[in-house]
Amino acid sequence: MSAPPTQNTFFHRLLIANRGEVAARVARTCLRLGVTPVFAVSEADRDAAYCADHERVVIGPGRSAQSYLDPERLVQAAKQSGCTALHPGWGFLAESPRFAALAQAHGVTFLGPPAAAMLLMGKKTPAKRAMGRAGLTLIPGSEGILADVDDAKRVAAEVGYPVLLKAESGGGGRGMRIARDADSIEQAYREASGEALAAFGDDRLYLEKLVERGRHVEIQLLADKYGNVVHLGLRDCTVQRNHQKLVEESPAPLLADDERARTLEAAIEATRAIGYVGAGTMELLQDRDGTLRFMEMNTRLQVEHTVSEMRARAHGEPIDLVEQQIRVGAGQRLAFTQDDITLEGHAIECRINAEDPSADFRPAPGRIERLALPTGEGVRVDTHVAEGYVVPPFYDSLLCKVITHGKDRAEAVDRMIAALEALVIEGVPTTASMHLSILRSEAFRSSAYDTGGIPGWPPSPSGGTEDQKENG
Amino acid sequence: MSLIARSEASEGTFLLRPPTVGLWREAPAVGSLVTPGMAIGALEIQGRRVPLFAPSDAGGVVTEVFDAGRARSAVDYDTVLLRLDPEGAGAAVSAAVADVGGAAEGGLVFRSPMSGRFYARPAPDQPPFLAVGDVVEQGQAICLLEVMKTFNRVTYGGPGLPARAKVAAIVPADGDDIDEGAPVLQLEEA
Repeated sequence: MSAPPTQNTFFHRLLIANRGEVAARVARTCLRLGVTPVFAVSEADRDAAYCADHERVVIGPGRSAQSYLDPERLVQAAKQSGCTALHPGWGFLAESPRFAALAQAHGVTFLGPPAAAMLLMGKKTPAKRAMGRAGLTLIPGSEGILADVDDAKRVAAEVGYPVLLKAESGGGGRGMRIARDADSIEQAYREASGEALAAFGDDRLYLEKLVERGRHVEIQLLADKYGNVVHLGLRDCTVQRNHQKLVEESPAPLLADDERARTLEAAIEATRAIGYVGAGTMELLQDRDGTLRFMEMNTRLQVEHTVSEMRARAHGEPIDLVEQQIRVGAGQRLAFTQDDITLEGHAIECRINAEDPSADFRPAPGRIERLALPTGEGVRVDTHVAEGYVVPPFYDSLLCKVITHGKDRAEAVDRMIAALEALVIEGVPTTASMHLSILRSEAFRSSAYDTGGIPGWPPSPSGGTEDQKENG
Repeated sequence: MSLIARSEASEGTFLLRPPTVGLWREAPAVGSLVTPGMAIGALEIQGRRVPLFAPSDAGGVVTEVFDAGRARSAVDYDTVLLRLDPEGAGAAVSAAVADVGGAAEGGLVFRSPMSGRFYARPAPDQPPFLAVGDVVEQGQAICLLEVMKTFNRVTYGGPGLPARAKVAAIVPADGDDIDEGAPVLQLEEA
């Protein structure tokens, strides 16, 4: 048993440049380590329970552009509150190289990768090239930017239709068009570049073969400043709605052992090759042949890091990824190698949002009148919400994350169903009912689904086992 | 770059808050007059000094200053920097200025740093330091003040004043006895 830290050798005060569940999560680790968390909050979050008993710096109004998305305010808040480190969380500015650089320039340690690594991974084609060099399998497509529509036609003929035209500076699904044949590629090219120019001020496109009915798989990585890199296994996040992940689990089901081993090795090599530091995630697409292909690297901690934490132990002790970020940020070496890490059992996470599944998932701000969180063996709930909490209209609709762990997938699923049945949230509609429908479905139980549809949703009218042909 | 404070009307007074976080410097003192658009010190943001101005809809006499106007105070978005009393003793001062200048509304005022006899010229045979319409800059001589037989050269500048301003009126006549804090120059933004 390790003694509780009485005096830490890293940061005394740390600014949390984020809000809600993220801030609550980061603060929990800070308090355990003896680091004083200082919450940067907007006016809308000033009186929220999750930061009520802690130091706060009110940085701006509710609107994110003048609070959580303003690097200058956040860095200044860190400076004047005496914080020597800053945790960006995930979302907001977590992947902004400028934010990282600004913090470093003013003597505040940014708990994320070096700005240069973020910059490289933020650019689509240079990132692909770097990952390909390190040995990761890529989605077939253009070698960098397309010169013009004829170039697009040539590459598309090579890799085979259907193809996806994507904006170099794109994101959030904009500046993206599918071309299913040679007749439609000209129009797709025109539309994608026009949309990209309007949205991102950059009309450059690249092309990838469209991988249909694949699965979304990702690798949790952790690196220190001395080239030591480990992975904490793979996660599967195939259950998505409009590119928003709904259910995440680890390990990834339906993956051949040799493909898993090959990809993990290449991912570690790639992480080392780009000089990455801290926690990061490689997102991959598992195609129908079972091959894992690199999509992008997220240069931050992710919402679903929890499912990896539930499984990972080093020298028999649980691994806390936020703690590891703080330690490597302070210049410490990783205290374990890959051989010291064990990944045990199966973990699942459900994101419970304040959205109305019966009204096309409309976000529903409001007041939480009643709240009862599930407990029990293998159950973890991450949340910033308490009874009486008012969900502000400015931010995303996540209320809590329910995570369960079991000795195998079946036990983790059973525990999740029990946990969601025990969960009570009154005052706003939530997506919990949808998650129950997914988890109880035969398709989810047997992992028989892909990105083409949500297993068990919408619920079949008969209430019996649903018909797979609906998932198209 | 400059910033404008946010104002909120509260019980007949105005509360001024900063538009962002920073270290607040050069706070106006309790009892001084803040008129709309007047500088109320500066925010130091990542080492840069950014002037901070009162908004166009708030003015009055300073009745409270955050952190007692310490040299560099860390302030939040919701910190009340100043409480201004629009009905305060400053009303009389504004009226006096208005009488002299005729266009005091919304103007800036340079006040005498001490009591003494006002001289507009460096020497009787020389032209005045300033004429109406001139632009004064930080550190520029404004007048001589004779205090106990000593001539003191008064220079432009101070908390709450822009680095440059245009002279709208010179309030005292040459040779007048004036009190500390009495208006000397009525200014406009240059």
